[in-house]
Amino acid sequence: MIVTAQKPLDEILDVLSPYSNILIAGCDGCTQPPRGLREAETLSELIGLAGRLRGRDFRIKVTTVAKQCDSYLTVTTLKSQTEDVEAVLSLACGLGVQTIAEVLPDVPVFPAQNTLFIGTEMREEGTFEERCAACGDCILSLTGGICPIARCAKGLLNGPCGGATNGKCEVDPEKDCAWYLIIKRLEKLGRLDVLEEVRSPRNFQVVARPGRLLA
Amino acid sequence: MESSENQQGVAVKINEDYCSRCCICSSVCPFEAIKRDPETGRMLLEIEKCQTCGICYSSCPAHAIDAIYYDVESLIRYLERAKQEYESDTLVIMCKGSAPDSSAVEKLFGVSEFIPLSVPCVGRIPEDVLLKAIATMGIRRTCVLACDEDYCRFEKGSPITGRRIMALNILLEELGYGKEAIELKRNSLKVKADRDKCIACGNCAFYCPFDAAKLVSGAAEFDLDLCRGCGLCVTLCPAFALDLENWETERMTALISRLSAEMDRPKILIFRCQWSVFPSLDEEFDSNVRAIDLPCAARVEPLHILEAFRSGVDGVLIAACPEEDCRSKTGSKESQRLVTALRKTLSQIGFEERLHFCSVAPRYAESFDEELRQFKARIEGNYLKEASQ
Repeated sequence: MIVTAQKPLDEILDVLSPYSNILIAGCDGCTQPPRGLREAETLSELIGLAGRLRGRDFRIKVTTVAKQCDSYLTVTTLKSQTEDVEAVLSLACGLGVQTIAEVLPDVPVFPAQNTLFIGTEMREEGTFEERCAACGDCILSLTGGICPIARCAKGLLNGPCGGATNGKCEVDPEKDCAWYLIIKRLEKLGRLDVLEEVRSPRNFQVVARPGRLLA
Repeated sequence: MESSENQQGVAVKINEDYCSRCCICSSVCPFEAIKRDPETGRMLLEIEKCQTCGICYSSCPAHAIDAIYYDVESLIRYLERAKQEYESDTLVIMCKGSAPDSSAVEKLFGVSEFIPLSVPCVGRIPEDVLLKAIATMGIRRTCVLACDEDYCRFEKGSPITGRRIMALNILLEELGYGKEAIELKRNSLKVKADRDKCIACGNCAFYCPFDAAKLVSGAAEFDLDLCRGCGLCVTLCPAFALDLENWETERMTALISRLSAEMDRPKILIFRCQWSVFPSLDEEFDSNVRAIDLPCAARVEPLHILEAFRSGVDGVLIAACPEEDCRSKTGSKESQRLVTALRKTLSQIGFEERLHFCSVAPRYAESFDEELRQFKARIEGNYLKEASQ
């Protein structure tokens, strides 16, 4: 899923300050917790509360889109709801905000979230962990299903770097060394042989920014 | 073992002078809190294990157990007063865990006007009270609403109630009160799921303390036999696809705004788990304080707290059971997590002092009162300060 974190209320209020009629658009898609109707209602209450402390009275409507990274679902859900709306506040990741900007050309849209990374929710631990860097040249078949591009601070293809201590990364000792995990896992699977080949540098042209793929 | 110091305000005590050491209390206690000392033969109560269900109190043949809550005298006093107030001769005794609103009582027993007596576990009502109500107080119809046996928060409370009423009914029939003089019905309040609204996020499946929820072909499904009605899934459902019977989201919203409207300022609203605080039968709050009792602190939605603030409430107090006492396993812990996260957000606008989470257990009768006293003093102090500025 795309992992996001809510922006500070002050920042949200600052960008909304020129407007009074706001539509908060949740997204039931992949963020966790899903920033759907409940989050939209909750943020509406928070903005109302914070606004009143600033002497502002926003008129806020809430809605939610099945997934804002789908232009069709976004336009069909939002189009009819934006009649008296001066600004849309999106609870989705950066994709959702940009979809709305594209499908509603006349209405300003603002992000309520900072988009952080593509990650896995570790339910038991209560954390979100970055797992994929969307590099376009997947090597997970060679690394025991553990991605060194996303999970090694140095993005090494031929690790480890030598700086790891007790399986932890020298850049951030709170985090696991991805190459330590890769070697342990391949060892367990009896496939250390796949590490014998030295990998040449990654092909950075696979995804030329901005990426595009025909549906 | 208890120190003499925390004997103060302890909700259940064994009175040595009356105890005949028959051991009935230790055999009925669902929590193994009472044991017979093999050396002295005395009955010993381990208060930290006690969940204050009152089953020992209602079972002791020697009246050797002192209970602070809902003892015979206060129950009788309440009934005498309530009989006048409700002008009815029908008594409905309900466990808070399964007590629906009065319209549901109407449906279950076919009564419209009745004297309500709502207690945490009907297993705590001694026979004396029922007999006295029927024989001397002019109660013509007695209905008891207990939880389904496997839904009982005190494990044995509901089964014991069943056996007790069966025995009482035999006695009452012999005394000429007719068959089934006391009507017993059972009920449980459980989750209601709307498949159409489900977005298959999996929150309910992960968080349900009783493994009642799972995702089946893209939507949440519940095994209602396993649901214990804590409401945690409802609170965490991002799509409002779930609701809890008797504590529906919309109903809570309406209740919050009604209570807020009737309070004086500075308004203090308490959300409390009904197992964490046992209010007295004549509980009355100050004009600026109101409480909403819930099946678990996990049913407190952050959204409802914010709604309370919007409706003009100045302070919100959440009373939950200590984690180890929680009747919904993780309910109390999850509630604390949600309230802490909301406090953090509220701290961005200087509102965090208006929200307080406390863990209290009825075994220490004064612990909730003390939390409320402190919170009230803080909210009232801040209110006066703001007013003078």
